[in-house]
Amino acid sequence: MTAAGKSADHALALRVDGLRVSYGPKRAVDGVSLDINESEIFGLLGPNGAGKTSTLSAIEGLVKPDSGSIQVGDVDARANPAAAKARMGVQLQSTSFQSNLTIREIVRLYAGLYGVALTRAGIGDLLADVHLGEEASKRFSQLSGGQQKRVSLVIATIHSPPLVLLDEPTAGLDPQARRQLWDRIERLRDIGRSILLTTHSMEEAQAVCHRVAIIDNGKLLTVDTPAGLIEKHKDDPRVRKAAHGQVTLEDVFIGLTGSDLRD
Amino acid sequence: MTFAIEMSNQTSARPVHPPMLSGILRALIEADVTVQLRNGRALVLTFLLPLVLLYGLSAGKRRAQLGGPIVDVALAITLGIASIAILGYTATVARDRELGVFQRLRVTPAPTWSIMVSRLAVQIVSMLVMSMVVLVAAALVENVTLDPAAYLLTFLAVIFSSAVFLGVGQALVGLIKSPDAVNAIGRLSYLPLFALGLFAHSTIFGSTFETIARWSPGGAVATLLAGAMQPAALSADTGWALLASVLYAVVFAGIGIRWFQWSTR
Repeated sequence: MTAAGKSADHALALRVDGLRVSYGPKRAVDGVSLDINESEIFGLLGPNGAGKTSTLSAIEGLVKPDSGSIQVGDVDARANPAAAKARMGVQLQSTSFQSNLTIREIVRLYAGLYGVALTRAGIGDLLADVHLGEEASKRFSQLSGGQQKRVSLVIATIHSPPLVLLDEPTAGLDPQARRQLWDRIERLRDIGRSILLTTHSMEEAQAVCHRVAIIDNGKLLTVDTPAGLIEKHKDDPRVRKAAHGQVTLEDVFIGLTGSDLRD
Repeated sequence: MTFAIEMSNQTSARPVHPPMLSGILRALIEADVTVQLRNGRALVLTFLLPLVLLYGLSAGKRRAQLGGPIVDVALAITLGIASIAILGYTATVARDRELGVFQRLRVTPAPTWSIMVSRLAVQIVSMLVMSMVVLVAAALVENVTLDPAAYLLTFLAVIFSSAVFLGVGQALVGLIKSPDAVNAIGRLSYLPLFALGLFAHSTIFGSTFETIARWSPGGAVATLLAGAMQPAALSADTGWALLASVLYAVVFAGIGIRWFQWSTR
């Protein structure tokens, strides 16, 4: 199963083909292929250890794939990682920054790493826009979880990248903070950014994603719009067994990936 | 420029080029200098420890048996270098690795080597500044003054010596993942790495012990520094100390680079 092939009419922000990633003898990603169109929000759903973060890590250049190709826009990410990274904004699952730096200094550092010239006032405006103007002199560890996520998103998009990768962006957030982050993600989409996000939340996948892929044991099991996935799998006996009444995206997810607990 | 304005003005068609290396290095070094200056423990290790040792040695009754004023100054600088590298540098690297700071930096266009080079450069500058402070203190406390060529040679020797102890520090964080274990083993390694060097020019514990001490990392560095401070009296010992320092640096740095991992996960 691949997520490619539906994108012939669109410019591609990301094309992953036949990606394989192993950690020693364990294969974490097994032949994943996916295309992400411009201005598309693509969700990667999967249980713990399914291969979501490993897929993202390979795209981000944090792990070296065994095989496969990764194309970011028109750049071969494996052949030219620096150029690919310049086109990507990344929010890692658990992000931290140098503990002795203030938020303002962290933003300044990352602006420099992406070659973005920002004045002190410009940094202040950026932070004020995410309601962190008064936190500019605080350390990252002094912020709440929601504030930390907002800082991470500011830094991920500081260079206006065409492609934004978000690894469980709303994990651990309260409903208000989660909704605010969804709004920001949709604003990014509205201005032409393409977004690949991983999530455990079916609600999130349905609320913000154009297309969703379900991944398990390193393989893509299915891909479609959230409504399309329900329609495609509603008669699958595994899905029907998981359903309590009308089939939901979560029923499809449980039906395809099983109900066993994962680490 | 607000985030909203910035967002609305940009389109995905905008060409995105990798930033210039000079800009990347400037940003990294600026951040690393800020971190170093804000780290109170690092500042104490950098300046206080060598000055305390210098004062202790100059006030000690057996100072002549340790090698005299020049050796005192060399030992104080050696302690400063060892402290910055083995305690300060390793602690910061181990902690940042544990927190995921390196992973965050590695997803930017910054080459991975630049992340470490920036940190090492800041440590070497700290060591040079520490050496200047110790030399000024030595002039005041020990009446040790050097001619201009000796100052130059001493600073060059400090850079060589920094490679030894930064190599040791790199090996520690390469072989050990846990920040707590790095901290504990770093302190323990002080004994063979630095404290032995205190007796590199002394036969207090016999000639065998002196030989072992002289060829320990701390002893080799102290001998190298003492030789650099007296260029007129350079001897074969200084040359052997330089060779030993280079070997230590290559071996330890090789281990550190070979086994270093950017993430603990």
